[in-house]
Amino acid sequence: MDNEKKKDFEPKDIQHGIWNKETISEIDYKAQYGQHRIRGCGATRYMPTFNDIMILPSQLSRLSLDTYRESCETKTILGRRTATKPLEIETPIMIAGMSYGALSKEAKIALAKATAVTGIVISNGEGGLLPEERQYSYRQSVQILPSRFGFSKRSLEAADMLEFLVGIGAKPGLSGHLMGSKISEEIAEVRQLPVGIDLHSHPRHGDAFGADDMVVKMDQLRELTHGEVPIFAKIAAGRVRDDVKIAVKVGADGIILDGAQGGTGAAPVMATNHLGIPTMPALVQAVRTLEEMGMKNEVSIIVSGGITDGSDLAKALAIGADAVAIGTGAMVAMGCRVCLRCHSGKCAFGIGTQDPELRQRLDIEEAAERVANYIKAMTAEAVLLAKAAGKTKLKNLEREDLRTLTLEACAMTGIPLVGSNFVFGERFGFEC
Amino acid sequence: MEYIDAANLKSTELNKEIISKLERYGEVTVQNPHSMHNVAAGLPTQGKVVIQGSTGFYTGGFMEGTTLQVEGNAGWYAGDNMMEGELLISKNTGCNAGTYICGGNIVVYGNTGSRVGYGMKGGTIIVCGSAGPWAGQMTMGGKLIILGKAGSKMGESMYKGAIFVRDPEAGEKIGSNVFLDIIKADEEQELKDLFARYDITADPAEFKVVRPMQTGRHTYVLFNPDLKPELSRKMSV
Repeated sequence: MDNEKKKDFEPKDIQHGIWNKETISEIDYKAQYGQHRIRGCGATRYMPTFNDIMILPSQLSRLSLDTYRESCETKTILGRRTATKPLEIETPIMIAGMSYGALSKEAKIALAKATAVTGIVISNGEGGLLPEERQYSYRQSVQILPSRFGFSKRSLEAADMLEFLVGIGAKPGLSGHLMGSKISEEIAEVRQLPVGIDLHSHPRHGDAFGADDMVVKMDQLRELTHGEVPIFAKIAAGRVRDDVKIAVKVGADGIILDGAQGGTGAAPVMATNHLGIPTMPALVQAVRTLEEMGMKNEVSIIVSGGITDGSDLAKALAIGADAVAIGTGAMVAMGCRVCLRCHSGKCAFGIGTQDPELRQRLDIEEAAERVANYIKAMTAEAVLLAKAAGKTKLKNLEREDLRTLTLEACAMTGIPLVGSNFVFGERFGFEC
Repeated sequence: MEYIDAANLKSTELNKEIISKLERYGEVTVQNPHSMHNVAAGLPTQGKVVIQGSTGFYTGGFMEGTTLQVEGNAGWYAGDNMMEGELLISKNTGCNAGTYICGGNIVVYGNTGSRVGYGMKGGTIIVCGSAGPWAGQMTMGGKLIILGKAGSKMGESMYKGAIFVRDPEAGEKIGSNVFLDIIKADEEQELKDLFARYDITADPAEFKVVRPMQTGRHTYVLFNPDLKPELSRKMSV
């Protein structure tokens, strides 16, 4: 065969390894603009998830419960360490903090209305407390963020639960981002910002630099809320062991632990993909730390970051969480197709936009119903699994009901591999 | 005048006592504060409280309407998140005085530490002495007035608001995304009124104003190489 013909027969499907289309387009972007890239949503790379865990069903060793005719309690009480009015919700699910600004007013109202139907709690997110959200929500969590946009003493008074936010899983160690395309006149007014500015908000709390200050700050917040409201520390998963110990020392009633799969309206791609640790091992480490401290029954854990269905909920509870928070999942229920372009402000579904025309595309009542349906179905899924494991209460799921599918998950969680009692790595309460 | 001896009280007990006396008498003096934290946290009432001595962290935080006079120094985060009222500190404060305030007036008659008025959203802070670095960082409203020397990075990334300063070197001390401007006539009058109200001797005409850039975009430099090509070995041969 001559050389010309040989050229025609050269294989075209050669793998490019790290030099794939994504790598090349990322370099093209940097070469063009001299900047890091910002986009919406969370990490897109592979990370271990609760899918690497299986739940053991009851058979001869345990009695199962009738899926359709016997009850399994889902009511959950959070933050009873010191608060005189701990938070009581009907199913251990929270709508995660997504700001009015990142989301449209319509989306926030729909989420709030869904909580009223399902009896759960919604977090306001960074952009102040939207009056309509407060009006429609079943229980209201208010975040205390380093930026304090739209925050005042009035916000404390409206809260059923407070979150002292240190970081979020999508971009731990970074401040909030809201691109100019989303800072409409309405948003600018709530946040007290100039219209159209690209916002890179405050990275650290200006009134609590470290753990020792936070002890005093916590006293102040308790005094202002008459000790009634549970105060959570929201932390991104990183040095979980140290951070949990500090949160307990500071006096938090609970911890919201946001894993690296957590989403956001806009973040540097570097941060979403390379900062923090995944949700599953983070939760294990938090539970392990609280147990070692003898605080597991006092300090509640809400875990978030990549929670999608009832199996994630059931497995998180079995590992030791008291509740989960859903963000992206709730947006998907409203119609989001996870295009990763939340930062552009051009959400075609009227969810992550402030464009008046696009916002009209979201039917509030329909979206609220869909989110409520999602929460109901997700709870039903978890209940189904719990009953199959022989539990009369969702919270009775325990880690002994779990086995890991992969060596990786086994080593990360300390839960034995399927079909064995072997654990590789740090123990997590299993006798082998 | 009603007195409270704070020596053996916790801050929550002291604050309850202050509120109860304010409601009855409208004025109260606190003795032996011993640098207690959270003094006057969230006081919801009108009236005047005099603290005879120094206070710790978060003095008058979230206060709403009271006039609080500290006859001494105040620790970090004095007047944090204040809503309304007055916080008058006769000596110095630690860092982050007046952080996130929504309203009210804070006057520091001495010097203050770094990041005074961090993220403030309204109200007025007057520093009669000098201020540390990063004063008025990322403010979203209100007025910060510095009579003495300013620190570096003043007004870094302000969104709204104004910093009034008469340090002759202010131009070299401002942070990024802000500029130094002249004072307007109505602002001069506002300062004059404030100085008269708080017994401060200063001429408003001497002040310049740090204002946020109105370009609509903040710019940040994440990599700033300090190039010295002449130090390369190849240049010596």
